[in-house]
Amino acid sequence: MAELTASQAPLAPIPARTQLLAVAWLRWRIFANGFSRRRPATTRQVVSLAFLILLRIIVWPFLAFAVIGPVFGSGFFAWELVAHHHAQNLPELLAGIALLWQFVAVNGLSIAASLSGFDPASLLRFPLRFGRYFVLRTMIGFLTPSTIVGCLALLAAAVGIGIARPALALPALLVLTVYAWTNIFLTRMIGAWMERWLANRRFREIFGMLMAFLVVGFQFLNLQRPSRAPGASSSWLLRFLRVSHGYLHWLPPGFASDAILKSVHPFAAVAPFLGLLVSTVLFAAVFGIRLHKQFLGEYLSESVGRRGTASAASRVKTAAPQAVAVSAPAPPQAARPAIPPVIAACLRKEWFTLRSNSAQLLALLYPLAILVILNRGVFSQHPSYLLPGALAYVLAGLLASLYNIFGADGLGVQVYLLAPVRLRDVIVAKNLLSLALILVEAGLAWIVVSMLAHAPISQAMQVSTLLWIVFVIAANLSLGTFRSIQSPRKFVPGKMPQRRGVPGNRTSSLLVLLVLFGSLLLQVPVALLSRHFGNPWLAAWIFAPIAAVAVLAYALLLRNADRLILARRDLLAEELCKV
Amino acid sequence: MTTPAIDTTALTRRFGDFTAVQDVNLRVDTGQFFGFLGPNGAGKSTTIKMLTGLLAPTSGSIRILGRDLESNSAEIKRQIGVVPEGMALFGRLTASEYLRFVGRMYGLDRATTLQRTQELLEFMQLADEQKKLITDFSHGMQKKLAMAAAVIHGPRVLFLDEPFEGVDAVAAGTLKAMLQRMIVRGATVFLTSHVLEIVERLCTHIAIIHRGQLVAQGSLEDLRAGAGRVGAAGSVQEAAPAGRPRSLEEIFLEIVGTDRDGNPAVTAPEQELSWLS
Repeated sequence: MAELTASQAPLAPIPARTQLLAVAWLRWRIFANGFSRRRPATTRQVVSLAFLILLRIIVWPFLAFAVIGPVFGSGFFAWELVAHHHAQNLPELLAGIALLWQFVAVNGLSIAASLSGFDPASLLRFPLRFGRYFVLRTMIGFLTPSTIVGCLALLAAAVGIGIARPALALPALLVLTVYAWTNIFLTRMIGAWMERWLANRRFREIFGMLMAFLVVGFQFLNLQRPSRAPGASSSWLLRFLRVSHGYLHWLPPGFASDAILKSVHPFAAVAPFLGLLVSTVLFAAVFGIRLHKQFLGEYLSESVGRRGTASAASRVKTAAPQAVAVSAPAPPQAARPAIPPVIAACLRKEWFTLRSNSAQLLALLYPLAILVILNRGVFSQHPSYLLPGALAYVLAGLLASLYNIFGADGLGVQVYLLAPVRLRDVIVAKNLLSLALILVEAGLAWIVVSMLAHAPISQAMQVSTLLWIVFVIAANLSLGTFRSIQSPRKFVPGKMPQRRGVPGNRTSSLLVLLVLFGSLLLQVPVALLSRHFGNPWLAAWIFAPIAAVAVLAYALLLRNADRLILARRDLLAEELCKV
Repeated sequence: MTTPAIDTTALTRRFGDFTAVQDVNLRVDTGQFFGFLGPNGAGKSTTIKMLTGLLAPTSGSIRILGRDLESNSAEIKRQIGVVPEGMALFGRLTASEYLRFVGRMYGLDRATTLQRTQELLEFMQLADEQKKLITDFSHGMQKKLAMAAAVIHGPRVLFLDEPFEGVDAVAAGTLKAMLQRMIVRGATVFLTSHVLEIVERLCTHIAIIHRGQLVAQGSLEDLRAGAGRVGAAGSVQEAAPAGRPRSLEEIFLEIVGTDRDGNPAVTAPEQELSWLS
């Protein structure tokens, strides 16, 4: 075995290259191993792999468009602005690239972290000097979509400027390279501070809601489209751009733009170029301050917080006198409870879990806000579809949560498996709370739609929608519960999925999507049939029997729930109890 | 007098208004097999995190191998090995890839890294699992790998947070033998464990932390003799007259069962939970 204790002689310094290459190699191996099989190949695994390849063939061209679009757009607009004497608008283009860069980076933070399974702060346990840690943290993320697209877009802009005015080609390349570093450090700065703030659960929830409402806000702004009528006022976007133009000159996009355009008179270009350099250094310094705190051993988690001073013993002492002897006969029950105790206990537990996640509760309001937008958008042309369309929209998210009802329990699933309870009762409790949420959301959406509708909704439409909802809920409860037992996947609410589920999950995901969206979209062909035959009650006649079948299927599933769970208990424990 | 491997002065860590570790003065001499004990939530892991530079102390100082940790963290980290509480492995690497990465991060050349990786994998009986990702390892296998990573660079001080938790008896025996060998070669091992029998068998010196404060420190013999209790003012009690030799468990329960003034801090649960009788 290797000599384990090092000699007492002073150690030679570790070359920076060795450590930097080691981390680059680590990242590469994590990426490459992401494609490797985790378990021996089985037929299901091969099917799953084939599906994955197919999915990538479909998805990658879209991703390619998402890259090519901004890159060609930047090149073209840069050429257009400089060639056609609108160079004064170059700061807006550079600001647009920066905004896109930061937006993609911020939104990709949690996704990247969860997919790579790599926390850069874990490097702190190795013998790194701060300078090297800073370089590593800057390097990590060079191959993220935001950096690749941002750098390519800036390169394209430099090429566009160079084609329009060849004299500006080299200065544009130099300045936009510095501008790329400005954006890289800005991204790192935002990322590092976000990591600090997001360590606090309450902040995470507030941030999630802010992002959601920001998206909704943009949708509302989009409604204020400029009127094409002559003399109508211009859009909010153009007004905003006009106002912001003056300020942009004092920000990095303005500095970069001025440094490029004034480069024909080098002395005039020095000041804006210095401004750009100072901005870059400033972002790097603020990023560095955060990293340095981390480097010194900052504690971000809030798991150690306030604790009561009372000892465990004293807690036992106060609780004990009220306890009842196990061996003693059970006290006579006054009355049979309305809800069986196991279901009541599980319901209470589910409610406490939901209550502690205020983001999830607030997210119930988010689809309702979107309804107002949909009413002014797509449904303004088809008001008769407003009610089913609105309900389909608001319920999609809640219905999707039915497909992994044990996921959030994690290790806690063992309590259900060990306790002397019927597992059917546990499922009923979980489904009851989901059902309550779905009904509240549907009820609110119904009220909103009734207020928004320009004409009263026909009785036939209301009845058929009601029957359709019964079908949708029962069908998704049935398949959702079945899949929750067959393919459980651990997840922490508020975080991206951190591990892959059981083999074959991807294949069954396709079936889930088909049932989920198929049941929601079933309204469309049925409505068309009703219209074709001129019978508004036809939809109700169609939905009534299939709703009954779906309810029966759910009842059948509940009847067999214990048997199903016991047959899959090893998988439930294995998947949900992984640390 | 030799330079202690670990030396802390008034080490304190607060989280908001909660004090996790308070005024801890630890001294671990080079070559000692040191057991750091305490009940759940006593401050053991917080102390280890501070000693390994992963958590900054609120106040106090830490010297490892005679050097201040704060100002020499990179140099000190080269000479220590750590098996942290959560093991901190990269799940999407294979064991061999992980050890090669760790070796390079500690500045070992490529050939040495490869040689030690192979030796360690064989020693830890992980050589047959070369193609398996760490995420698919059992808990015990992950623990062995974390231990291998902690020693690949030949550390002079080894910090182990619950190293035997979830490890089977055969593997535990292998690990213990390896640790004993390191001690013979002059390394220092700082270990926390809830399994007092293991600590009693391996460690020569013990410290006990309770509610963030060091309540006992000394050799196992001293503690058995009733000495080593840290008084309210930080003074260490001398040995009492010889009596019946006591087990570490008895000593531990006696010490954490009373507060610093000798009053009982823990009530025997069976006296209160009458319904269990």
